[in-house]
Amino acid sequence: MFNKEKFKQNAPAIPVLIWVGFLVGLPLVFVIILSFLTRDDLGNVVIKFTLSNYKKIFDPTYLKVFFNSFLLATLTGLITLIIGYPVAYFTANLSPKKRSLSIGLIMLPFWISSLLRTYGWIILLGNTGIINNILTKLNIIQSPFNMMYKFSTTLIGTAYMLIPFMIIAIYNSVDKLDKSLLEASYDLGASKRQTFLNITLPLTLPGIAGGFTLVFIPSLGLFFISDLLGGGMTLFLGNVINSQVTKGRNKPLAAAFSIGMIILVLIILYLYGKLTKDKKGEGLF
Amino acid sequence: MNKPLLSLIDINKYFDNFQVLKNVSLDIKDGEFLTLLGPSGCGKTTILRCIAGLETVDSGDILLNGKSVVYLPANKRNVNTVFQNYALFPHLNMYDNIAYGPRIKKSMTEDEIKVRVAEVLHLVQMSGYEDRMSSQLSGGQMQRIAIARALINEPDILLLDEPLGALDLKLRKHMQRELALLQKQTKTTFVYVTHDQEEAVNISDRIAVMNKGVIQQIGTPREVYNHPVNLFVASFIGDRNIKEVEILENNNNYHKVKLGNNTVTIRCSRTAECKSKPGDKALLAIHMDKMKIDCNEMPNSIKGKVVSVHYAGSQTRTELDVNGQSLTAIEYQNEDCEYKIGDKVYITWEESGAILLPMEDGFEESGV
Repeated sequence: MFNKEKFKQNAPAIPVLIWVGFLVGLPLVFVIILSFLTRDDLGNVVIKFTLSNYKKIFDPTYLKVFFNSFLLATLTGLITLIIGYPVAYFTANLSPKKRSLSIGLIMLPFWISSLLRTYGWIILLGNTGIINNILTKLNIIQSPFNMMYKFSTTLIGTAYMLIPFMIIAIYNSVDKLDKSLLEASYDLGASKRQTFLNITLPLTLPGIAGGFTLVFIPSLGLFFISDLLGGGMTLFLGNVINSQVTKGRNKPLAAAFSIGMIILVLIILYLYGKLTKDKKGEGLF
Repeated sequence: MNKPLLSLIDINKYFDNFQVLKNVSLDIKDGEFLTLLGPSGCGKTTILRCIAGLETVDSGDILLNGKSVVYLPANKRNVNTVFQNYALFPHLNMYDNIAYGPRIKKSMTEDEIKVRVAEVLHLVQMSGYEDRMSSQLSGGQMQRIAIARALINEPDILLLDEPLGALDLKLRKHMQRELALLQKQTKTTFVYVTHDQEEAVNISDRIAVMNKGVIQQIGTPREVYNHPVNLFVASFIGDRNIKEVEILENNNNYHKVKLGNNTVTIRCSRTAECKSKPGDKALLAIHMDKMKIDCNEMPNSIKGKVVSVHYAGSQTRTELDVNGQSLTAIEYQNEDCEYKIGDKVYITWEESGAILLPMEDGFEESGV
């Protein structure tokens, strides 16, 4: 039965629902359908049901791609957490003035195109780059030290690109932390280290989980960083999907890989929900 | 005399350039219930935090059991605090909250902790709440858990920072009685901070009245209530009429003083003003509830006019005008004299209800 009161209450959500429906929902349905179709020799999509695209995911070559991406995203999450947590922690404990300055500096890179910033890393790490030049000039090394086109180069670039999300997420949860809880812990005999492990860390866990999710998901899909810094030496999901759509002319396969990636993301979101379930209003689900 | 359990010696403390504590010295005896009483911002909470070690002092010394603890961090001092907002750990249940101290200090085995948690929970009448989270408790219940969490450590001193401030009046009265009882039961020294003078008078063995970072007076509730040493204490504790007077005669502690156009006799024996000479100015402070209104002239009475009568159940508050000066009388019963607004009446007071205080610069009658 149509409930007028309920409709009135929920009416403001309609534009959002239309937006999400047309621009997220429909394309997603399209991708799902596409992933079950085949293509002809010219790369045109043929409407003929098949599961072969999904079977390809389990091909060792492509399974390796999934594994690479998962490893990259997990390591990016861990690195940004280890570097980001102290930064967020100290930022939250600064005086209000210094705090906004610090947040401003953390967000500053967003003002510059991410592509440009990635090229910046080439200038820094390349064989004729700044680091190698300085080290050779100082006679610390004889010939340039190869730092480019490795898995680790992509990892550095990805972690650098996404670390602000981790810092902001943790900063918010540290900032919300009631300082009298820390004082209560000292008062009850705990040292600073014990207080951090027993009080601060568990209470900022939602921030850590949120930051990890915010970093993990985009690092699965970023392809230009591994293109520029990794030189295509290690294949990642983003690169494979990108090349299947453009060079490979195999849109159904790209669609199947995209669905595979979405499932990977959903698993992470599910774990995030589990981790933050008991804390009211902080979990996603 | 017994050695004090805790001594504060000439404590000074600044926040930026603002001095919050000025040469504070205080001895706290073992087993007593001492209350730091004063308006907000007077430094009472800062003293508590200095004792706990959560705040450092800029100069002075703190002796606990005769040993200086001034350089000892909070976690190394055997004192525990009950925080104003309770500060229960939201991610731990009440059992783990209470067990936090002994577990951190490894002072008991898990079996001993189990027994002790049950004991302190029983003490604060919260048995059966072990598995609750703090979000499932009311303010009064969180209060009890916070006290239990502190008491399980058997501190030398339990510090309580306005612990009843967030509770409603009825519950507050109830908790006051319970706290006083708990203190006697556990024989633990309590240092209690409040801005509520009634609360302080009700539960304390001794009260230290503070204003602007200075301890104004330390004494039993009776002493502080009946014999305040200065204007601040007199106006902060109890409702008093405070008027400027001139000493006319000082005869063996019986002072003749001039109040407006009237001359009254005051018996004075405690304050320094009892030594004052004719011609000196002083402040006359009279408890409002020790005043009496008569229809006929009495010895030592002054004549006034009734300005307003405010009936409030058990007591009646009457505003009076005496030659342009206003006085307030609070009476619990008056069967001798019925009066209404505009009537001429005679005002007297119980001898013990009136004291003389030193004159202070900037004294304004309207401000009291």
